[in-house]
Amino acid sequence: MREVSFGQYYPSNSAVHKMDARVKLLLTIAFIVMVFLVKSLYAYIAIGVFILLTTLVSRVPVLKVLKSIKAIIFIVVIMSIINLFANAEGKVLCSWWIFTITDGGIITAVNLALRLIFLVMGTSLLTYTTTPMELTDGMESLMYPLKLIKVPTHDIAIIMSIALRFIPILMEEVDKIMMAQKARGACFDRGGLLQRAKALLPVLIPLFVSAFRRADELALALDARCYNATPNRTKYKKATLAIRDLIATLITGIFIVLVVAINNNFWGLY
Amino acid sequence: MQIKVEGLKYTYSPKTPFEKVALDDISFTINEGDTIGIIGSTGSGKSTLCQHFNALIRISHGKIFVGDMELHSKKLDLGVLRKTVGMLFQYPEYQLFADTVKDDVEFGPLNFGMPKEEVGELAKYALELTGLDFDAVKDKSPFELSGGQKRRAAIAGVIASRPEILVLDEPTAGLDPQGKKEILDLVKKLKESYVKTVIMISHNMDEIAEYCNRVIVLNDSKLIYDTTPRELFSNPEKLKETGLEVPHVVAISSMLKEGGIDLGETPLTKEEFISLLTRRLKCEK
Repeated sequence: MREVSFGQYYPSNSAVHKMDARVKLLLTIAFIVMVFLVKSLYAYIAIGVFILLTTLVSRVPVLKVLKSIKAIIFIVVIMSIINLFANAEGKVLCSWWIFTITDGGIITAVNLALRLIFLVMGTSLLTYTTTPMELTDGMESLMYPLKLIKVPTHDIAIIMSIALRFIPILMEEVDKIMMAQKARGACFDRGGLLQRAKALLPVLIPLFVSAFRRADELALALDARCYNATPNRTKYKKATLAIRDLIATLITGIFIVLVVAINNNFWGLY
Repeated sequence: MQIKVEGLKYTYSPKTPFEKVALDDISFTINEGDTIGIIGSTGSGKSTLCQHFNALIRISHGKIFVGDMELHSKKLDLGVLRKTVGMLFQYPEYQLFADTVKDDVEFGPLNFGMPKEEVGELAKYALELTGLDFDAVKDKSPFELSGGQKRRAAIAGVIASRPEILVLDEPTAGLDPQGKKEILDLVKKLKESYVKTVIMISHNMDEIAEYCNRVIVLNDSKLIYDTTPRELFSNPEKLKETGLEVPHVVAISSMLKEGGIDLGETPLTKEEFISLLTRRLKCEK
């Protein structure tokens, strides 16, 4: 279970780690929008290079970022296959019974696969370089305008940070319960799909019980310390914008312009 | 059945920033019939070591033999090993899951492929051994039981498959003094029936002194002592360097020594302490 790498913070002291979480969030959103607008293969190559460079600067091992794709590879394959057959535009390459493959279909399938992969790589780079606390603080700060129309942004932020905080705790719990049941002869990697799903029951039931128990205890602990989301809470660590945030924004901005130019064949490369 | 550990090493999350050495070159032998205590401060590697005994953690460096089973071999039959080496985790009551207590206790034996007719008997025997009334609890949901009863039911779930070697990870954590004594007496009772060897992690030195015939001390992932409790607790100063306490009776007798009443020997139990003290006081008269 410790192998789950998607979204786990990877401590380092790089420039990307030190950036303001709000800036990182906004840039990631801009990146995702760009990934979904781009259509040309050359632009995808440029995006790949950009992700690679950012990973190198962040000092997160490239392999770790690549591993995050593993979690969605199943979805990518299924979606690509559906798109491969669903799109019937362009020249027909081969056809069998009700299935026809066209060059248009292949292009959409590849596009979609690349988009999903870049999406996950980009977001996991964000979570690798930003602690959950910074992330939720950043989101709360970005949601500031919503506060003006009485949306409880602080509550949303605290719910999010608790949820994030609980992921490693529950994962550890799964580990422990699995070990205990294995010691009683349980086997999780034998038999068919149904059998395996059934074998997980002795893990899931104690897990749910303990999740509810922990939630209860946490609620009591919050109450006992008179926690409430009063409007004028101050912060122990206040995030401030620095020069590096400006530089990062500029670089990303230039890069986005570059990709858009390549995408629209501005220089007549192809 | 003998357990032999040779040059065991283990590292958590190797080659990442979270890398941590948990066990460093550990070697020792546990003989059949031993009740062995494993002590050490938090994070010294006790639990990691114990999880190796029934291959819940696979060996990365070193060797472990349990009887004639080689735990470092790839062809190891996990079923046979885990039936032989029972493992009771910390707070075992959190692993209860079945609809009824009986089903939960039968989970282990059924997994190990024991015949269905026998399993019912084994469950009944194990539950009664832990002091629960079989007819009263068998059809109850494990979640309806009280805290102490839950722990007993969980212990029954481990001992129902009749392990020859029983590993206990802090079996008395979080219990009241009465509950602690009952659990330890149960371990003693088990030792007299089918369990031949007991390995017990504990932070409670009184328990170690009273129940174990051997003790292993881990400090900073290394094995620093492998000796008898009497030997170990005779040098309280040495032990304190590792951040561990001595049993209450040992602490009291060393205070008496400072005050001029030397008992001569190191007592390990209340009874020993009282008899040593009365002997000493009679001598004075």
